[in-house]
Amino acid sequence: MRYQNATAYRFLAPYLLIFSIFWLWPIINSFLISFQATRTVPWRFAPTFNWGRLIGDPAFFNALKNTLLILVIQVPVMITLAIVMAVLLNSPLLKARGLYRFAFFAPVVVGEVAYSAVFRLLFNLDYGIINKLLNSVGLPRIDWFSNVTPAMAVIMIAVTWRWAGYNAIILLAGLQSIPQDVYEAATLDRVSKLKQFFYITLPLLKPIIVFCAVLSIIGTMQLFTEPFLITERGGPGGGTETLGLLLYRQGFRSLNFGYASAIAYTMAGLAIAISLVQLWLTRDPK
Amino acid sequence: MSSRSSSKLGRSIALHLFLTPLALIWLFPLWMMVIFSTMPDRGIFSPSIELLPHGSFLDNVNNLQRGTNFIGAIGISVSVAVTYTFLSVLLTSMAGWALARYQFFGKGVVVAIILGTITLPYAVVLIPQFIMVARDFKLANTWVALIVPPLFNSLGVLFMRQSFSMMPGDLFDAARVEGVKEWRIFLFVALPLARPMLAALAIILFLASWNNYLWPLLINSKPGAMTAPVALGTLIGLTKVSWGGIMAGAVMLTVPMLVVFVLLQRHFVAGIAAGAIK
Amino acid sequence: MAAVTLKNVVKRFGGFQIIHGADIDVNDGEFVVFVGPSGCGKSTLLRMIAGLEDISGGEIAIGGKVVNDVEPADRGIAMVFQSYALYPHMSVEQNLSFGLRMNGNPKADTERRVKRASEILRIAELMKRRPRQLSGGQRQRVAIGRAIVREPQVFLFDEPLSNLDAELRVQMRVEISRLHKELGVTMIYVTHDQTEAMTLADRIVVLNAGNIEQIGAPLDLYDDPANRFVAGFVGSPKMNFMAAKVVGNDDDAAVIELANHGGARLRKPLSGARPAVGADVVLGVRPEHFFEAGEGDCDIAVKADVAEHLGSVSYVYASAGTNVGAGPEELIIEREASRQRANGDHMVVSIKAGRSLLFDGTGARIR
Repeated sequence: MRYQNATAYRFLAPYLLIFSIFWLWPIINSFLISFQATRTVPWRFAPTFNWGRLIGDPAFFNALKNTLLILVIQVPVMITLAIVMAVLLNSPLLKARGLYRFAFFAPVVVGEVAYSAVFRLLFNLDYGIINKLLNSVGLPRIDWFSNVTPAMAVIMIAVTWRWAGYNAIILLAGLQSIPQDVYEAATLDRVSKLKQFFYITLPLLKPIIVFCAVLSIIGTMQLFTEPFLITERGGPGGGTETLGLLLYRQGFRSLNFGYASAIAYTMAGLAIAISLVQLWLTRDPK
Repeated sequence: MSSRSSSKLGRSIALHLFLTPLALIWLFPLWMMVIFSTMPDRGIFSPSIELLPHGSFLDNVNNLQRGTNFIGAIGISVSVAVTYTFLSVLLTSMAGWALARYQFFGKGVVVAIILGTITLPYAVVLIPQFIMVARDFKLANTWVALIVPPLFNSLGVLFMRQSFSMMPGDLFDAARVEGVKEWRIFLFVALPLARPMLAALAIILFLASWNNYLWPLLINSKPGAMTAPVALGTLIGLTKVSWGGIMAGAVMLTVPMLVVFVLLQRHFVAGIAAGAIK
Repeated sequence: MAAVTLKNVVKRFGGFQIIHGADIDVNDGEFVVFVGPSGCGKSTLLRMIAGLEDISGGEIAIGGKVVNDVEPADRGIAMVFQSYALYPHMSVEQNLSFGLRMNGNPKADTERRVKRASEILRIAELMKRRPRQLSGGQRQRVAIGRAIVREPQVFLFDEPLSNLDAELRVQMRVEISRLHKELGVTMIYVTHDQTEAMTLADRIVVLNAGNIEQIGAPLDLYDDPANRFVAGFVGSPKMNFMAAKVVGNDDDAAVIELANHGGARLRKPLSGARPAVGADVVLGVRPEHFFEAGEGDCDIAVKADVAEHLGSVSYVYASAGTNVGAGPEELIIEREASRQRANGDHMVVSIKAGRSLLFDGTGARIR
């Protein structure tokens, strides 16, 4: 190929401009802001002001703990469910495949606000249909939003409902790229379907599973709308407060940009760590 | 042979017995959204279990519209999503084309920066973006604020770069030998060939813009400038509008997307499977 | 119409040199084929002539004008690609006219050129179809038609037949030959297939690892290759190479002893410098140049392993002796058509000094 600097940059320029202004510079700027005291005018450079506060802030550790708790429980459950969905949707025995696909994939198009509203109503104490159903089979109602554990459960259920199908789509595409003859060879070798799943499908799917897991972890790490709308600003009593919500409250309710930036960079650090784990997990075996 | 086909039948029945309840559970929240949107509030608050539609959808829409100008907000959402999608497809496919098809100084650096920052959480840039757009550019509560900053999204660039680099290079060389200018090669050869990928990308971008919540919530919080999800979000937890009204809003946000999803499922799936956006 | 001249042309990718100073003169109206194994740089060289690759060093001139810094479109060339490179979203007619339309060529002239090309290639009835509705051969014609429409001074072909099946390939080969006669323009053609090179070319350029091994008319390369590489590359099946040692020297010949054939000796008349006694050499004999025992200058015994009967001739795959670290020496011997089976039978064939070539240890020809 020939070097075509002028032509290439003419095509790239509009995007690079936006990318630099609204992504690259803010990434750097956010880092800089986190070292400044931002509630004085003008802002003042104070390297330990925000970071020092962060390591001693119970609200931060509460949010961090909640976020990690959701991550550790919700992501594995959802990914497992997504694998099951993908494998079963891929079965040649399945009839009316389109209907099942619609059922699992439809949540992908539902906006956070719309589904938050629905879940809030479904789990309402007095007139939520979940409690009505529990009652109708003789079980006691649960006060979902007044206690931390059930409130967390609702958040996790909601996120799982919204994103399991999304991951199943990616996994299904991965499944369909596994050549059929591998399974045919295994069948001739008298390997059962279940063993085929564990010894062929799962290993071949591993990079995609890891990809989905990383995507989900980074998504869940920023969880904001669900605790904001479903559990009413991280209620009860901060029991479902996440890092995303804390960042919002510090940045845009208390207008404490420096501290919010330090929280944001904590999330970035986690994301980078997760990405490195991904690289390590999917590295080429030597 | 008969034992073989009967074991197949057994497996088929087990498969459907497992998957059908799961599918129903998955459809349940959507179904209930639609049901709630057709119920008067006394229906929602009644102790009985209602699983079938009633007739109050329009009442609920009216109720919603009285509480907030939801139709106007939908107008903003549609316009913003259409403009954003068009601009983003244009910018990212141009950039993807350059990265896929030209050799130039600094290419490695550009690719490395895009790939190196792609997994950073959006939360990192939220505060500086907000300060820049609201304080420095004084663009809060404008359409520009809703449309332009989200254009940074680099997943489209990678998606289009991948799409263009999978096309046979001879095709573009043939046009080059014929003296066709580079921008015309892009416009008349590359883009038409990328139509399925562009469709997938456009659908995913449109959906992302349509459902975008956090950024519009921060930057366009003035009542007349809100997008539909933001307008709806402000009502949740208040008593200003009935639950039926809120559900009617949720239905108006969701059902059009579901219809598009059913019609264009192939492109949706292609876009998501390519990891085009999250 | 124009001559194409390459002067000391060099190509580097990063720090890696892949064309090491090529000098080629293609005469006006000539059909020149670049041939060589994959990775030898032949396609790169063609793309440099087309202007699709930068020239790292040296000079390329078309029609007497140096074109190093001229855009591809302004070099007066047209190119036919291996993959055909037809625009899949355009009809045949649009494919043919696309370049002209994009450059604002007058409509009437465009139509005239498209019509002429479609007549030359007999594709007039395909004009409304899309490429995917065409067979491989038809696509190939359209690709050539698109080149004709440009009315170029030089046609460049990049392995144009390698995606066709064997029968079509022969047919298109004849077609391209006919086209060259009809248009009378310069054509440069790249292939890895020596049969295509032999049948199409006025002159062949044999390339290997970025070097030009030899330039010459097809039969000159066959009869008088400059080195072992060219000798092995031209001709099918390949020339046999037999390990040998120089055991004697006189005024106008060298005597060599074949290493794997029980001390069989051949007196090989030479015109140039004689190799030293004791030197390792290689004797090259084409499959078709083995004779019945006693008919040549030196008889050798081999073990016939497998025979392939093609009908008109038979090829016997034979072996003899052991080369150091390389298993037995393997030979392909052409015989008259026969039904004889070869199950390790012993067989004696004869070599003629005049129908064999001698190479030194580095592969250079000893004449």
